Order: sequence, then structure tokens, then C-alpha cells
Amino acid sequence: MTLATSAPDMELALPARAANIAVVRHAFGALGEAFEIDEETLSNIRLAVTEACTNVVVHAYPDGEEGPLEVFATLGDEKLEVLVRDEGPGIGPRADSPGLGLGLPLIVSLTESVVLGRDEEERTEVRMTFPLSTGRP
Amino acid sequence: MTDTPLTSGPPAQNSVSLRLANGPLAAPVLCRVVSMVLARANCPMDRLDDALIVCDAISAHAPPYASEDRLALTVAADTRGLELRVCELAARGADKLLADAVVPGVGNVLERLSDDLRIEPCRTDGSHEELILKLRFG
Repeated sequence: MTLATSAPDMELALPARAANIAVVRHAFGALGEAFEIDEETLSNIRLAVTEACTNVVVHAYPDGEEGPLEVFATLGDEKLEVLVRDEGPGIGPRADSPGLGLGLPLIVSLTESVVLGRDEEERTEVRMTFPLSTGRP
Repeated sequence: MTDTPLTSGPPAQNSVSLRLANGPLAAPVLCRVVSMVLARANCPMDRLDDALIVCDAISAHAPPYASEDRLALTVAADTRGLELRVCELAARGADKLLADAVVPGVGNVLERLSDDLRIEPCRTDGSHEELILKLRFG
């Protein structure tokens, strides 16, 4: 299965604002219903995606500036791959971070795999893979 | 990822661009996203209901005319109304989508519920076209 080369089933592009994290959560709720993903798995997916989007809102752009938040979801036979992307400087230690630093460990604990990186256009990517216990219709 | 960007510039504040695979995903995701955007714009219930009917009609009838089996949309709202763009439709696809949205005994759902409706060349790809619908409530 080569999820990364498949066209995503769902793409969202929206301003990286706190209020828009709820939009992403609702979109994943609809995705879960449409593909009959069990409630526990969907809860894990939504929590991990929320953490990744929160990282974008809090860390990706300087205070007072707003940039894009992009979310891609691709369903495979027994996996869901979610890519969260921004145009910030990348993921690294930050002395003035307002958070407790639990976001990434939480994402790791909720996913089958996580890959952090930059794409060919130097955008920051968090690529998460979730195992699915139910097939798509 | 698809090669065509979802947006052609910085996104407006209360806006979301989507690209959804044709199939069971389109209607529920579009309806939920539109509901969230309209809730933030203080949209009254009657127009929210109208907007969701429009979303259902688009989800049901747009896929045959969508590019690469993906329905591309932009949703934007402020306190005056909603603008819904159905993007990347095949040539003449917007006209066909409109024609398909006729319900016997009711008429054309998209035309009846929209305050403004027009067809333009696609902003991100000149070979396609966009159907632009506006629902006012302010």
C-alpha cells in the first residue's frame, strides 16, 4: 500500500487560527461517519490531529501573523494517513514555548507511525498513520 | 498530494478550501464545514437550513463534472452571507450541474435558494470553471 502517492480523500486548507481547529475536528468526525470508523479509533485520530493542528496555530507563525494550515487525509485498506502541513520554520526546541511539550509525545502514542519533516517547498509536515479496524464501504 | 493548489492566495479569515473524493465523504464533510463557518458568521437557522440543502444538492450532482474525481470547493462567510464556490468543474460542467439540480415540483434548488449565482473561469486553472453561489442573511 502506498498511501503517500494516492490522491487524498479529503483536503482542507484554512487559516491557522485556533477557531479553525474545531472545523478540522468536525471534518474528521464526518470522515469517521462516512467510512464507519469505530468510535475509539476516531477519537484517537481526532485527538492526534487536534494536537498537530494546535502545534501549527501556536508555533508555526510569529505572533500577529497568520499563515495557512493544510490537512490531508488518505484512506487505505486498513490505514488512514493524515498529513498536517504549514509554512512555518519547522519543528524544533523553543525556549519561549507556551506549552508543556506534550503534543508530539501524545501524537506518537496515538498513532502507528509519525514522520516529521519538510517537503520540497520547505513546508513543515507532520505525517501520521493510524490503523483502521474497519474497511471502507 | 494533488498538483493544483486549493487556494490561489492567502485564505480569507472565515473561509475553508476543500477537496473531497467523490463518494460517501463529500456530503457529510461539506455540510459540517459549512455549518461551522456559518455558525461563526451568526447565520440565522433558516438560512443555515437553506445552505445545507444547497450543500446536499452540490454533493449529489457535482461529482460527474468534477476534475479527477475530486470535488473542489471554497466556503467563505461573514455576517452578511455565505459564498460557496464549486471549483475545477469541467467545461460546461457548471451549467450541467445547475440543470441537474432541478427537483420535480420544486424547481431548481440552487437557483431558488441562492441570492446570486454565476459561472466564472476557474481561478487556479483556466481550463475549468467555477459555479459561485451566494446566500445572503445579513
